[in-house]
Amino acid sequence: MSAADPTPHGAPPTGATGADAPAGDLAWQRMHPVTPFVRGWSVILVAIAFIGHQTLDQLEAVGGAAAAVSQVSGLWWKVALAVVLLLALVFGYAALAWRMTAYAVDDDAVHLRKGVLFRQQRHARLDRLQAVDIRQPLLARLGGLAELTLEVAGGSGSGVAIGFLREQDARRLRADLLARAAGVKARRTGTPAPAADAAAVRPDAGPATGAAAPVDGVPAADGVALVDGVPAAGVAGRASAGRPADGGLDEVDEAPEEQVYEVPAGRLVHSLLRSPALWVVALGLVGVVVAVALTRNFGILVSAAPAVLGGGGYLFQRFAGEFGFRAALSPDGIRLRHGLLETRAQTIPPGRVQAVSLTQGPLWRGPDWWRVKVNVAGYATGENTESQNVLLPVGPRAEALTALWLVLPDLGTEDPLRLLDEGLTGTDPHGQFTVAPRRSRWLDPVAWRRNGFAVTDRALLLRSGRVVRRLVLVPHERTQSLAVAQGPWQRRLAVATFTVHSTAGPVAPAVAHLDAGDAGRLLEEQARRARTARATAGPERWMEQRAQVAEANRADGEPAEAAAPGSAPGLPGGGEERG
Amino acid sequence: MATPQPTSGDPAAPFEPVGVDFRSVSPRLVTARLVSGAVSVVVPVVVGAVLALVFSPWWWILAGVPAAIFAATAVVVPRQVRALGYAERDDDLLVRKGVLFRSLVVVPYGRMQYVDVEAGPLDRRLGIAKVQLHTAAAATDAVIPGLPPAEAERLRDRLSARGEARLAGL
Repeated sequence: MSAADPTPHGAPPTGATGADAPAGDLAWQRMHPVTPFVRGWSVILVAIAFIGHQTLDQLEAVGGAAAAVSQVSGLWWKVALAVVLLLALVFGYAALAWRMTAYAVDDDAVHLRKGVLFRQQRHARLDRLQAVDIRQPLLARLGGLAELTLEVAGGSGSGVAIGFLREQDARRLRADLLARAAGVKARRTGTPAPAADAAAVRPDAGPATGAAAPVDGVPAADGVALVDGVPAAGVAGRASAGRPADGGLDEVDEAPEEQVYEVPAGRLVHSLLRSPALWVVALGLVGVVVAVALTRNFGILVSAAPAVLGGGGYLFQRFAGEFGFRAALSPDGIRLRHGLLETRAQTIPPGRVQAVSLTQGPLWRGPDWWRVKVNVAGYATGENTESQNVLLPVGPRAEALTALWLVLPDLGTEDPLRLLDEGLTGTDPHGQFTVAPRRSRWLDPVAWRRNGFAVTDRALLLRSGRVVRRLVLVPHERTQSLAVAQGPWQRRLAVATFTVHSTAGPVAPAVAHLDAGDAGRLLEEQARRARTARATAGPERWMEQRAQVAEANRADGEPAEAAAPGSAPGLPGGGEERG
Repeated sequence: MATPQPTSGDPAAPFEPVGVDFRSVSPRLVTARLVSGAVSVVVPVVVGAVLALVFSPWWWILAGVPAAIFAATAVVVPRQVRALGYAERDDDLLVRKGVLFRSLVVVPYGRMQYVDVEAGPLDRRLGIAKVQLHTAAAATDAVIPGLPPAEAERLRDRLSARGEARLAGL
């Protein structure tokens, strides 16, 4: 493709193909040279198609068979010239854009500069890191390339996309970034690590360490794992055996991970068969066919096509986006992998999940399946990103609870299972949930028994919905702001709606029609709880505390592994050092 | 508006937290809102009136509907402005608003990402400004309109200072 050989990205600067003018002491690195092609292939195809279309039109305009072959051949020359010129222009610009795009990593931030006419330099602070994704669109996947996206909670479009890189380079960079963001500083040695060597070491680093730990730590099937903390010990033990304990880090290993659950393709298909969207699409199709059969008017087919295609597209996107869904736990947080055509590997560090929801539609009741979604700051919501906010596309209750455990390992209550069961399916007004008063049935005749909340030491639980059951959990330290609202009818019945404002995402924590007094008290208490939880929340650099613990233990002459079980570091949820 | 005791079953209970004195905003906000409302209404009313006089009395509808809406607004706006209130507590800011649809928002200082102070030409002439608080949640609707500029400035500085002191990640 190009004479320039890609640098081993994320490795120390080699100086060979580094940056043109290193600003300060930053070591600027370039993307893989084929990046413009991977990014722009659709544009190029469209351009070619457009020109082709224009040409055909012109040919037709020239018209009549008799309209002289000489004219047509003359036209071909022009077309060929135009195509060549256009391609040269596109490639020239792409090459220029590629030359102007570079990234650099230092201990505190990631720097990205790009743009030909309008220069842009972006600087993302690593302690604000919310998530790291490695995305591989189909074409990039075929070529072994990947794009790395850093989300830094600055609203949509604030993320830093570094790509495309070779797959192993992207993984290297991710490990490096996570290590820095975690507070485990990578030592930058002057000697460049050969790319081949890095590639050889890399892939087995994870599994090898992973195999060392017994599988008994997997919380897997039974939700009991939520309570007894066994998986915590398993993961944590490995965590301290991994990176922080061995001090100097010449080569940043990818944190070891342990698979927690995966969604088989069969279940995914089955779950889609049981989703309302499919039935809407199917009924729509039947309706169209019947209408066409009755009226013999095929125009209906054409006018109904967009709706059917839209519905089908949504279903396909769900299937393709959530295909092969796997969740794993590592000291760097939750790792999710999914995708059929375009794959995405997400890493959400501990404490970055702002809110979780568990939902169950009416047709999922039979197999007791649940869908778990999360809010993560920086993950934009919009088309094509639906699967980004999913923690579990579909799974039985035990698996859903395991997913919840990934986010909130400690719910801060004595009998979490009973509480959660009540939150998921309960309608009893005398349980652990404070529910909406009976008079609110005038406003919500179907689900009023479900509207309710419960508070634990660590999180607020809001349940609602009878046809579509929903349970939302917000860790106290992730509360942004709170509100109560009351409309005229609610006022007459002395009820009010309580809302927790969370970052943008699919989860909107709110509970309607609570008793006005309850809502007022909840507002007051929740403000206080959020305050105290924030004061004791884990550090942004999630490894720092653990490293300190390990240090302390080493000073005491104990093995580093002993640091793990009790305080259970390495667990997501940012809840280190809270009993 | 009465201030009943916050007991269970009292519809106003959530909006009257114990021991919190809400500060109200400047009554000049009424003028500001009415003037901007009148400006948007004046064109259809004038056009409707002219057409009605020239062509057919049916055109009075075009003039009448906006005028009636404006009259209704003129009744509601003063009440809305009176219902607006804010209170600074040690750790959070409370913003209350609404007559028919009431709401109370609690914004912890430690969660504030930034504070906006805005004043349009009309606002400047009337001597009021708008302070808006932003958190990482887009849903946070904490807007205090109709503050005298000095108060807006004081509030902004105070909020920033407190936010800095209590800032926690996300």
